[in-house]
Amino acid sequence: MRMTLAETVARLRPAQTRTPSPESRSADGSRPRSGRGLAAALRGGVRRASTVTLVLYALALGVGIGLATADYATRGGYPFGGVRVAAWTAWPKVGSPGADPYARAVNARRGEIPLTIGEGMLLTADRDDSGRALDAACTYAVAGVTPPARAWTLTVAGHGASDPARPPMRTGFTATEILRETDGRFVIALSPEVQPGNWLPMPPARGAVRLALRLYDTPVAASAGNLDRSAVPAITRTGCAA
Amino acid sequence: MSPRGRFLVATLSGLVLAGLVHVVVVLLIPRLSETDALPRARTEEALDHPVPVKSVAGGEVTATAEAWLPVPDPSVAVGLCAYDLADGPMRVSARTGPLMMSLAVHGRRGAFYAVTDQAAVRGALDLVVLTRAQYDEALANADEDEVSHDVRIVAPDSKGYVVVRVIAALPSQRPAADAAVQAVSCTVDSPAEDSKPGG
Repeated sequence: MRMTLAETVARLRPAQTRTPSPESRSADGSRPRSGRGLAAALRGGVRRASTVTLVLYALALGVGIGLATADYATRGGYPFGGVRVAAWTAWPKVGSPGADPYARAVNARRGEIPLTIGEGMLLTADRDDSGRALDAACTYAVAGVTPPARAWTLTVAGHGASDPARPPMRTGFTATEILRETDGRFVIALSPEVQPGNWLPMPPARGAVRLALRLYDTPVAASAGNLDRSAVPAITRTGCAA
Repeated sequence: MSPRGRFLVATLSGLVLAGLVHVVVVLLIPRLSETDALPRARTEEALDHPVPVKSVAGGEVTATAEAWLPVPDPSVAVGLCAYDLADGPMRVSARTGPLMMSLAVHGRRGAFYAVTDQAAVRGALDLVVLTRAQYDEALANADEDEVSHDVRIVAPDSKGYVVVRVIAALPSQRPAADAAVQAVSCTVDSPAEDSKPGG
């Protein structure tokens, strides 16, 4: 079985199997010839293709690309419909009947019950104020004030599965839990290292992380477009582990 | 037609087909999804109380493999009541407590009504979800002298669900938040009781 497989592979890829032998290396350039051969084979295939083959090709192309793009568009976050405010993106419409079909598909795939305008609003951030993507190896200061709301929570999520052996100590803060300055402003240190004050540990996963700020019972949900960049917390990178 | 032209036509029709498949799949996902909130609420049986979708007392973080965000918020207890207005109007009664609570009524296309505990009258919040016909009937049967504190909401579809969220601002409040979700009652107003004044 393995022998026949190897033989098939050898027959299918003659150019590669021939390269190690000294004769073919002495012959002038086997690689351009194989490239030209491939193009010629394609051209021949196009010329000889019957109508049935072409129909099958079109069907395969349509179904393949259609399913792949639909999966891609509904896999991660909401593809569009957000309102940019500094580093944050507000999603006021994802729970309303006016939500676009992509947002509804994303909610259905994730099993998420979105916040509606009367309940609150979700804001997400995947980059800092200077536009660099949030990295799990770096330390960030999330500082300032939030838009007016009766309650809010700030949570952090890494990309990919979390390690079940090392459950995260803390994935978020609520408005009641944090320590504030005397004027009501706050600084949350998002860092892989222990920090004084409001330390939000980085998720153990490597690579990109995202922040989610959920405002509950907030008047700004109805007018998210009027949010000012001074009304949302600033995200600044303060250092990076090498 | 030249062979190359035929190939181009096949490729173009494939791309057009790809667009159609894409649109159809995106529109079908909410209907076919099994992780969506509504089918989950329907498959679980809970008598007159919300199905706890997310309880916060355990403290463990449940993150799926594609956790783009912690879904849902780790400090918010969530419960669901599914309704089918063919059985009669749905009454959701909540008592407000120290914790912030919000109720949202979702139809098939999204939430069409939401209210928080700030709208409560003397600590009680009563929502009645009904169809247009049931609403007209309730209005016709209403007693002029009785003051009703019910919030009557006309639903666009006959099937949907009510989401109850209670926010635990501190970890010590999490058991209380779970209990507050469970304390909400979701009952079907039987047609015979329609003439009964609300409350």
